Amino acid sequence: MPPRAAVNIHNLSFKTSICTSCLRRDFSSTPAPQTRLRRQMFAWLQGPGESFRHPLPNSTNYLSAYNRQGKLLREGEDTPESTEDLRPFPLNKTFVSEAILSEDLRQEIWRRVQVEKKSVRTVSVELGVEMRRVGAVVRLVEVENQMREERKQLALPYARAIHEMLPTTPYSQSKVVRHESINDLPVHPLTDQQLFYPTSESRAFNRTDAGRVFSAATRLPDEQDVAQGGAAKQPWQDIQPEKVGKGKNEMDILKPADARIPHPHLIAFAKDQQELRGNDDEIKNRYTQRLEDDATSRAEARERKFAADEKRKTRVDTGRWQFVVTDVKVSRQGTGITGRGAASPGMRYGVPHEDRKKGQVKIPTRVEV
Amino acid sequence: MVVKLRLARLSKRHQPFYNIVVAKDRSARDSKPMEVLGTFNPVPQTPLASQFQPTQDKKFKDIQLDITRTKYWLGVGAQPSEGVQGILGMLGLWEAKPGTMAARGSVGGAARMGGEKEAQIEGWEREREREREQEKEMERDAVV
Repeated sequence: MPPRAAVNIHNLSFKTSICTSCLRRDFSSTPAPQTRLRRQMFAWLQGPGESFRHPLPNSTNYLSAYNRQGKLLREGEDTPESTEDLRPFPLNKTFVSEAILSEDLRQEIWRRVQVEKKSVRTVSVELGVEMRRVGAVVRLVEVENQMREERKQLALPYARAIHEMLPTTPYSQSKVVRHESINDLPVHPLTDQQLFYPTSESRAFNRTDAGRVFSAATRLPDEQDVAQGGAAKQPWQDIQPEKVGKGKNEMDILKPADARIPHPHLIAFAKDQQELRGNDDEIKNRYTQRLEDDATSRAEARERKFAADEKRKTRVDTGRWQFVVTDVKVSRQGTGITGRGAASPGMRYGVPHEDRKKGQVKIPTRVEV
Repeated sequence: MVVKLRLARLSKRHQPFYNIVVAKDRSARDSKPMEVLGTFNPVPQTPLASQFQPTQDKKFKDIQLDITRTKYWLGVGAQPSEGVQGILGMLGLWEAKPGTMAARGSVGGAARMGGEKEAQIEGWEREREREREQEKEMERDAVV
């Protein structure tokens, strides 16, 4: 390549004139730069929308709390928000913004479960928060505490902003502020179908029987069936889990709502309140007794399960590790005739690994509660 | 032909995991065996802490074994390989070689699988209670 001539920068000249019309030009190429909607938007931003620029503290500041002129509808800024004010979408009247747990309430739930060692069930009743939510709060606060210990950064400004924008359930020591309904029962998918089940008129067909029909389980044995002269269990006593189906198709038999309800002792409590009206001490004693009995029986069941698990194990301490030998059952039922079944321990033969295949879901897709 | 109790390594690279199998001596290591008796995971596992057992024990190596079938195969003359001998030594089903893990083990021995099991479980529970009490005392001391 031939040598290039050096460029003398002093000989270069730049035109420095500014095109003023260019500066005034809109970036949009739309023929009508200001549409009607756009004009309305700016009118709103400078008119009624001005009050949203500096939102009221301790208020959700949804559109429906203000009138068309941008004035607050409720009397005074200190009055609590009504349901009307909690509708964020003015055209969707059915949507009401639900309260989230306040920071105080979250910490109180954690304290009662982890410090005072109360059961999730008890805390749920005391603070009016659903049991699953109590469990979730305890887990999340534990994670948060661990992150603090590890000096990891927390998204506190974000959390604070969210708590300012949404309605929250406060915690007060003097009175119980219920967060949500705690004794709700979700609709069981088995009961979605419509069933016609012929049965004799004389048969005492109760909720237990209906659950069995929905689960396609066999009829109760005669000694438990009223129609056959047996003594039936009352629906609320029918709490023993039962299974129906084999292998992959195995599922729980649907139990009556009385047995599945999260806080059955609250129903007993309500009954006591009606029966023993005025006798508050007795009502309270029965209530605490029921809770204690429940806690004891659960603890016993847990111990029994632990002991049964431990019975199958031999632990050998070798200093550095512990060898845990579990006694298992290897059977033809587990592996099947082809030896490819997965119910017995051990890696199977003749079954390729499919974990690298397309479409294999490796993360859990559902949470068992 | 000799029938052996031995380990088969069917797992992937860098992920050791063994099937404890009954197989003919001359067959290939990972070929289809006469029977699978269990598994052996040599990677030490961290025990999960739970709400009811917050203290974690030391790491453990997980072995799953059908002891009834193993006894049967030993009874009809199956020969355990060296690796399987170690596992059986811990259970008292085979004489533990001196100097091996099985011989060093504090719980290993011949009488483990009998009626002593109950006493063993009670012993562990007592130990656990003692540990818990000690921890509580230590906590109290720390507070003081």
